[in-house]
Amino acid sequence: MVLLTMIARVADGLPLAASMQEDEQSGRDLQHYQSQAKQLCRKLNAQSPNRCTLEAGVMSFHYVLEHGVCYLALCEAVFPKRLVFGYLEDLQTEFHEQHGKKVSTVSRPYSFIEFDTYIQKTKKTYIDSRARRNLGSINTELQDVQRIMVANIEEVLQRGEALSALDTKASNLSSLSKKYRSDAKYLNTRSTYAKIAAGAVFFITLIVYLSCVLLPFITWRRTILLQFELAPDLTI
Amino acid sequence: MYIAFPGSYAESLVNQIINWQCCPRSLYSPVNCPNFPPQPSAGPAQLSPSLSGLSLQSQTPEALRVVNLLQERNLLPLGPVTPPTPCLPQDLQKINCHPEVFRSTLTSIPQTQSLLNKAKLPLGLLLHPFKDLSQLPVVTSSTIVRCRSCRTYINPFVTFLDQRRWKCNLCYRVNDVPEEFMYNPVSRSYGEPHKRPEVQNATLEFIAPSEYMLRPPQPAVYLIVLDVSHNAVETGYLDVVCQSLLENINALPGDSRTKIGFITFDSTIHFYNLQEGLSQPQMLIVSDIEDIFLPTPDSLLVNLNECKELVQDLLRSLPQMFGKTMETQCALGPALQAAFKLLSATGGRVSVFQTQLPSLGVGALKSREDPNQRASAKDIQHLSPATDFYKKLALDCSGQQVAVDLFLLSSQYCDLASLGCISRYSAGSVYYYPSYHQQHNPAGVECFQKDLKRYLTRKIGFEAVMRIRCSKGLSIHTFHGNFFVRSTDLLSLPNVNPDAGFAVQMSIEENLVDMQSVSFQAALLYTSSKGERRIRVHTMCLPVVNSLSDIFAGADVQAITCLLASMAVDRSVTASLSDARDAMTNASIDSLTSFRTSVLTIQQPGLLAPACLRLFPLYILALLKQKAFRTGTSTRLDDRVFAMCQLKYQPLAYVMLMIHPALYRVDDLTDEGALNVSERTIPQPRVQQLSVEKLSRDGAFLMDAGSVIYLWIGRNCNPNFLTQVLGLPNYAAVPLNMNMLPELDTAESQRTRVFVGWLREQRPFFPILHVIRDESPLKASFLQNMIEDRTESALSYYEFLLHIQQQVSK
Repeated sequence: MVLLTMIARVADGLPLAASMQEDEQSGRDLQHYQSQAKQLCRKLNAQSPNRCTLEAGVMSFHYVLEHGVCYLALCEAVFPKRLVFGYLEDLQTEFHEQHGKKVSTVSRPYSFIEFDTYIQKTKKTYIDSRARRNLGSINTELQDVQRIMVANIEEVLQRGEALSALDTKASNLSSLSKKYRSDAKYLNTRSTYAKIAAGAVFFITLIVYLSCVLLPFITWRRTILLQFELAPDLTI
Repeated sequence: MYIAFPGSYAESLVNQIINWQCCPRSLYSPVNCPNFPPQPSAGPAQLSPSLSGLSLQSQTPEALRVVNLLQERNLLPLGPVTPPTPCLPQDLQKINCHPEVFRSTLTSIPQTQSLLNKAKLPLGLLLHPFKDLSQLPVVTSSTIVRCRSCRTYINPFVTFLDQRRWKCNLCYRVNDVPEEFMYNPVSRSYGEPHKRPEVQNATLEFIAPSEYMLRPPQPAVYLIVLDVSHNAVETGYLDVVCQSLLENINALPGDSRTKIGFITFDSTIHFYNLQEGLSQPQMLIVSDIEDIFLPTPDSLLVNLNECKELVQDLLRSLPQMFGKTMETQCALGPALQAAFKLLSATGGRVSVFQTQLPSLGVGALKSREDPNQRASAKDIQHLSPATDFYKKLALDCSGQQVAVDLFLLSSQYCDLASLGCISRYSAGSVYYYPSYHQQHNPAGVECFQKDLKRYLTRKIGFEAVMRIRCSKGLSIHTFHGNFFVRSTDLLSLPNVNPDAGFAVQMSIEENLVDMQSVSFQAALLYTSSKGERRIRVHTMCLPVVNSLSDIFAGADVQAITCLLASMAVDRSVTASLSDARDAMTNASIDSLTSFRTSVLTIQQPGLLAPACLRLFPLYILALLKQKAFRTGTSTRLDDRVFAMCQLKYQPLAYVMLMIHPALYRVDDLTDEGALNVSERTIPQPRVQQLSVEKLSRDGAFLMDAGSVIYLWIGRNCNPNFLTQVLGLPNYAAVPLNMNMLPELDTAESQRTRVFVGWLREQRPFFPILHVIRDESPLKASFLQNMIEDRTESALSYYEFLLHIQQQVSK
């Protein structure tokens, strides 16, 4: 059962079309998957594998990348992969034909939301087991479905997270080293100041010492001189 | 990034632009030239707050001119009552939000709560946020510039400290101007952030980026739920609904994703399988109303474009399908549960048509009205719901973005007080057609038809939320209207329609010292019927004052009356009707006492009021005589509750006509002082006082009461008018149920029809015209609107004034 379908532009993760979730009756909360899908679309880039299945617990995300557009579906993990990819290929062909040229020019999110009608109809033909029989063609077309890469959603999302963690660590490091550098500089200047201060203190002490030592001498000499000078007076 | 003026708004441009730009009938005085700028009003408007304080001593502004209400009888202005202009610098006032969209009861905000308490006037805002506008700038931009701490949208009243920084006008935080904002796409220039459309328009709309969506935008989804019990079929309303849907099926707002579904119910619930490929609609009956389930989950709501023929098929056959039904029971509760189940995955609009008291299953109600007590009862009972089933279901609906609109077509008591909750908390609307019957009430049928047309084709917003922010120091504490308050200040509106009004009450938490002005911003986020997520932002700026006289000078009597009416509705439900009536009377007494003791320096005898509040006692008396609050006169409970609903969720302009209808003399219409709009000359007769003494037997008078227009013909009416306008030979030939003005090729007929047509254009719903004469059964309801006159149970205007004067001079 396809629970969620989303079509997004790979370049910036802008959602182009989506199908409203219709599983409210079973009471499943798809909000979490919805935000995961949004994150995933933002994570994908031109280097990502073209077709991939991402396991997310009891659910699986399947996506197809084609012409810079990502076609993403969320299904139960047990749902046949062949059908999902057949479904996504189907969407891809139709979407590319209808809107392929306009994809790069739009700026508003969900610009092609009206494609939802087609998504829902297609979904029905793939889910309905009676209708499924008519889709014999997909069996032959998608023989190579086995070769589609399987990864874990958490890993994919966390790969980005790990990278961003690395990035933050690196930037932390660089900021730390910057801090170290400035600290060192500061310390340097401080030690210079300290040296200068020490020198100054030394000189001041020296001066004080000298003055202490020499002053009495000088005064004594002066007294003597005075005495000598006074002496004539006294002698007068 | 681009700016667009959407083409759809350009329809009937000239006329509407005039309305928006300068002279909506209800608010601005008539202006002949369409491009005339808004008239600067008299009074302190042009002065800065500090200057106006000075000028008061030398010369009193017009708004504060003292009026002795006991002496001056004729208080109504020649034209419509205009809202006061806030005293802001001219350049700010020029771009301020239009008063029809955003209005405050006090256009000068007091500096402190104690000052506000002294003035004894209520402080609040009235909003009409989704009003149809002829001109609305739309901005598409990858980043929407908002304050980083309070999330206010950038608006014309922020200050730019320099090119790179702006200061929020609500929380005063300094923010950076993003790089993208430096480029102005309108003038294609760089480095002028203050010239961006966001900073030039107090009302505008953003196309929201994907951060504003929790899920993909929902499609337009419409579900019609029809009562098909014997009673319902008897009224013949099914024909009208199906016919109207058939006519407007292509005009329903939506795109290629639009979905539609139908449910009918009597004692069982009937679903309709409309899946593509069927040769005709399939009816599925669920009789287990205790535990309702959907018989087939995915073909009950179908794509309108793909299954249009089946839908049309169903609509054509539906009225006949139940023609011979003998089922009298009606299981509304289970039908609503089914509707909720059907729409909960997507959200959308449920339109319920109901004709009697629900009698089966959950939500069944019993009659609570005693007809003998209608007039005599001292206090009105049963204004609050009998069961909380409808409220609870409405809250569930609100959580799943489903709104329920209720159409009540009934001749008996239906307990609107209980049923109305389903619309009130899910942000729907209520329509009520008392005594609806296809044959016996043709005027009601016409009104229902016109309302339905508007209802089906008007703009609609889905999965909406609205938040109202105000400057630091002010806080909003009570909301009025139809919605559910999700968090303290977030209104959840599963649907929003252009005819919904809101009101809020405010208090001043912190003193607004050192502030020249304060601002208010309402932001409405919604999904358009085309699947676009949009944000409509309105910002209003008002001056802060510190003297009582300035507060009085800025009082907006219409806004005050409307806010008081909403508060009084709440009071009558929580306390009692008599309590609410007393509260309203006291409101007028208290404010006039405050004016007398605190503002007036020279004491004179009489009942003194500032010119801007001269109509206050009249409006309060009108409210007391309004269906919602009147006592002594026989009023059906449903009529009363419906009037209360209307007071709470209708926008100000329509509420004012409901409270105080406009009376014109129309037998002597001339082109003197007429309005010229798109090559039509619309005569502008004087508004008359609502008193029988103004009616003269030799004239014809038109009373515009909002949802209904009466044309009263005097017994000795000018024969010229009878022949030239009504096409009748004499007074005796006036039929008792005349609802149309014949199209005669005379100047008089032309003028009258243009005038009535113009009055009707002022509002989105269709008021029926009743031509009445002395023998008409509707004469009583016409005369009941003569609120200045005395009735057996209510005071005349003069008596009411004497009563107030006694209290004031105590």
